[in-house]
Amino acid sequence: MKGINFKKFFASPRWVTVAWVVGLIVVWEIGATVVAGVKRTPENVLPHLYQIIGSVFSTQKANSTQTAIQIVLANAWVTLARAGIGFVIGAFAGFVLALLMSLFSAVEKMIFPYLMIIQMIPILGMAPIVLAITKDIDKSRIVIAAILTFYPVATNTLSGFKSVEREKRELMYSYAANRYEVYRKLLIPSSLPYLFTGLKIAAPMAITASILVDTLQGGGGLGCMMSQSLKHAMTIYVFWQIVFLSAIIGILSYQLMAWLEKLVSPNQRGEGAATTAKEQMQ
Amino acid sequence: MQLTRKLPETNTGVSDGVEIKIENMSVRFPDKSGREMVDALTNVNLEIKQGEFISLVGPSGCGKTTLLRAIADLQQPSSGKITVRGQTPREVRLQKKFGIVFQNPVLYDWRTARRNVCMPMELMGIPRPQRTATVTEMLDMVNLLGSGHKYPQQMSGGMQQRVGIARALAIKPEILLMDEPFSALDEFTKEKLNEELLSIWSMAQKTIVFVTHNISEAVFLSDRVVVLSPHPGRVSAVVDITLPRPRHLAVKDTPAFGELVAKVRNSFEGV
Repeated sequence: MKGINFKKFFASPRWVTVAWVVGLIVVWEIGATVVAGVKRTPENVLPHLYQIIGSVFSTQKANSTQTAIQIVLANAWVTLARAGIGFVIGAFAGFVLALLMSLFSAVEKMIFPYLMIIQMIPILGMAPIVLAITKDIDKSRIVIAAILTFYPVATNTLSGFKSVEREKRELMYSYAANRYEVYRKLLIPSSLPYLFTGLKIAAPMAITASILVDTLQGGGGLGCMMSQSLKHAMTIYVFWQIVFLSAIIGILSYQLMAWLEKLVSPNQRGEGAATTAKEQMQ
Repeated sequence: MQLTRKLPETNTGVSDGVEIKIENMSVRFPDKSGREMVDALTNVNLEIKQGEFISLVGPSGCGKTTLLRAIADLQQPSSGKITVRGQTPREVRLQKKFGIVFQNPVLYDWRTARRNVCMPMELMGIPRPQRTATVTEMLDMVNLLGSGHKYPQQMSGGMQQRVGIARALAIKPEILLMDEPFSALDEFTKEKLNEELLSIWSMAQKTIVFVTHNISEAVFLSDRVVVLSPHPGRVSAVVDITLPRPRHLAVKDTPAFGELVAKVRNSFEGV
């Protein structure tokens, strides 16, 4: 009987997460130990995790006024706020375009191939062009984040509209529902899981893109600090802190989307779902 | 007797209790490969009376679902004519007089049972207090009053189909069209819902057109069973079910029931 419980424990998703984190730490530390033995400046290649954590709490100034973590957090705000604005704009535009493509098949035929092309241009190629057009690093961050968000949201939402079962459409038809009602009562709610799939893909991408745009100019932001740190203009631990911070924020942005999804689709909460009194009355 | 097939037309009136009148109707559409045309239905003549429970029974490919869909304005006839209450199916659909129950419950996952039943009334612009009262009444009728707060994925197949029936009846349709509503359910649930459907029918006084491939189910439920045969799809017989009402499951054990089942079974052609 003990064996079964044991199995259950190891099959639980929480355990899988723990195993992954522990595994990563072990691999990282083995790597760091090896690097420490062969390189003269191991912290430039792969420092120990305790060194990175230590640098977070270090009170030593990394430039004239700020410690390493103060630099990272101050610049994180610049980057993330722009990524967030771009993400919201891109998500909204993507949803509206999906709606238009679904409403008018001519729009879909005209626009869809170009969407693919935009997606195929590497962000490294697109960013300087956007910067040259907008002449402003803040606007460029927003535009690039929006462009990257736009595509997964538009395509996922469109396939959500298309995946509605024929019988559900026929039911609306049999009640002589007009177009607006069909979208409001059927197509939009049933495509929400697809929309959120798009948002979950796009959220970490928008952040990555925004960091990348930072590196183009010396105007601050995580990417800018990262390249300065790599060029030894300041301690290398700024670089490592940014690596971990952006990883954590990427994961959190995904989690935020998952949480939002649960908030707007109460049926996804599973058994024992808490329904409000208003829902029960209707 | 209501079957006018191969008989000259004598009566075009609609005021004589005839709810649905199908005259010389054929439906042709391309097969799955799109290369050949299939005769889904050929030369169907049928009159369905107001308040009648009629079943369309037959094997796969006999056109029973196509016939139901043609009545519901979900499929256009290639030739011939359907009149519902003296109007075209389209006019009746636009007046929201059809209630449809599909083989799958077709519930909206993001709505509770109550809000699913409510949905067609929202489309009709019925005010909220009246909607709430009707939802309660309908769920009570299908014995689901205690499960109104549940989402579809929290309910069994039988419960989901009950919600589907409650939703179809919520807008007080004149005609209830049911396309194999119980064929995905287990035998016990199916028989229970058959009995419940009969009591709903006697309470609600609707005309019901019921598609099934189950002969025993058709005989148990119906006033008349329309037997359809495939290749090409056609009506091969109409059997009057003379069993007394109200019917309970025990009627299935009587010799009369067995004879009617045999009569329906022997009416199929070319199967």
